[in-house]
Amino acid sequence: MLILGIESSTSQVGCAIGGHEGVLASAHSSRGKRHAENLTPQIEFVCEQARVGLQEISVVAVDIGPGLYTGLRVGVTSAVSIAFGLNIPMIGVTSLDLVAYPIRHCQKLIVAAVDARRDEIFHANYRQVPGGIQRISEPAVTSPEDLSAELLASNDEVQLVGDGAIRYADHFKDLKGVEPAEPGLAFPSASSLVQLAHAKALREDFVKPSELKPLYLRKPDALEIDKQKRRVDR
Amino acid sequence: MTQGLVLAIETSCDETAAAVVADGKHVLSSVVSSQVDIHARYGGVVPEVASRAHVDLITPVIAQTLIEAGIEHHDLDLVAATRGPGLIGSLLVGVSAAKSLALVWNKPFIGVNHLEGHLYSSFLEEPDLELPMIILLVSGGHTMLVSMDKHLTYRVLGQTLDDAAGEAYDKVARYLGLGYPGGPIIDKLATSGQAEISFPRPMIGEGYDFSFSGLKTAVINYVRKNPDELDENIAASFQEAVVEVLVTKTIRAAKDENAVSVCIGGGVAANSRLREAILDACPKEGLKPFIPSRSYCTDNAAMIGAAAWRRFKHDGPSDLATGADPNLRIPE
Ligand SMILES: [Zn+2]
Repeated sequence: MLILGIESSTSQVGCAIGGHEGVLASAHSSRGKRHAENLTPQIEFVCEQARVGLQEISVVAVDIGPGLYTGLRVGVTSAVSIAFGLNIPMIGVTSLDLVAYPIRHCQKLIVAAVDARRDEIFHANYRQVPGGIQRISEPAVTSPEDLSAELLASNDEVQLVGDGAIRYADHFKDLKGVEPAEPGLAFPSASSLVQLAHAKALREDFVKPSELKPLYLRKPDALEIDKQKRRVDR
Repeated sequence: MTQGLVLAIETSCDETAAAVVADGKHVLSSVVSSQVDIHARYGGVVPEVASRAHVDLITPVIAQTLIEAGIEHHDLDLVAATRGPGLIGSLLVGVSAAKSLALVWNKPFIGVNHLEGHLYSSFLEEPDLELPMIILLVSGGHTMLVSMDKHLTYRVLGQTLDDAAGEAYDKVARYLGLGYPGGPIIDKLATSGQAEISFPRPMIGEGYDFSFSGLKTAVINYVRKNPDELDENIAASFQEAVVEVLVTKTIRAAKDENAVSVCIGGGVAANSRLREAILDACPKEGLKPFIPSRSYCTDNAAMIGAAAWRRFKHDGPSDLATGADPNLRIPE
């Protein structure tokens, strides 16, 4: 079983191929706003590197967000189109699961925090369980102030991870028992996606391309709608 | 065997569309899933709402298009998508889908200029249109006069300096509380009204550029001063002013440029009064008019397939590193 993983919900875009033998090849780039340009050539590149033809892929895994909407849509649309084009199933994984995954051996409460822009953070909590970690809260969006207040009230030893924790580091740096995020692990990686998806694939935890939906967590921006109305009223 | 089978995708604004076109002119299938009901609530297209709807609709629309065309993906020769101009978030959905499908099906990909698509919509029904030709391209986003001297060679003679014609329709309809989109609503109302109010004909005697902002303001001022005037009469009079400006400039451009044919395209080209006026004016000046079916005037993917095949034969495929360009202009 070969899995193609696509990840583009942050300022980064990446993809990887892997399966039983682990990750065979991966690529990522972090030049902001270049998701659509970079992704398709990247997929070609990882196939070449892994010496795999696209026809041999049996599952497409994708980061379904939450994250930055434009990049997220490029990744989800590309992944769904590939799965549709090859007539194969999909696996969706949240960006928060992806940033928590590399620190799965941590004993503390893991809080994944992805930058949501406009002074907000997407976040979820994780606990260690035998064989990995488990998400113990639903992905949510909140202000850094509210998240830091929540952490302060929890009395848990906390490990923060994700680019949201780095961008709003000032809100978390003086909190007792809260360990700041490590910059090297700030972004979801396509390699983690392939590894996580592999475990899910063994349980046949698949969705059809038509069932896969991005996780936005916010309604279409009210500000944007007001702006549009003003434009029309001009 | 059919030659030049193109799967074309169009997501530049608020229609999610796909089509299969053979040889740049025979439409095997054309599916358009309109989001107009979704946006009507907001009184205009909201970019984030449009982008989200495209993600949900794109695969079902493509699947439906292939089924209706009765072909398998093996039969395709090219996968095309609109790469601009338009809303960036919407364009990226179509471009990403098309590039991904081209990659997995091992077909060439081409990124298409939406405006070039509109310019080629006439050739879907009338492949032998004679050049040189003047095309009036009028929609919610664009108002321009283009001269097509030979295939794939254009000159933009004039365009709007402020509001697009369709935008003026939307704003007037909005001011009158008639709803969205304004074009079809005003068109329908106008049929039972009298075009007796003399609204200005902006820039009608000068050059090929357009300006509709002043006309819109004149309508609003008139309605303020005459609150009892029937909406039907306002609609008919406003429409008459818009159409007279559009047609006068189009005919003048065609004569000045020694064009043989005159075509219209874009959402406003679905307007019944404009269609009638063009058909009426052209023969008097020895010009051959062609008016595409309404479904090929408003945004659709069949026209993208027509332009895609012409471009592909001339320029070859686009790179898979192609992105979207919201400000793409007509290639001159
Ligand atoms: Zn258009």
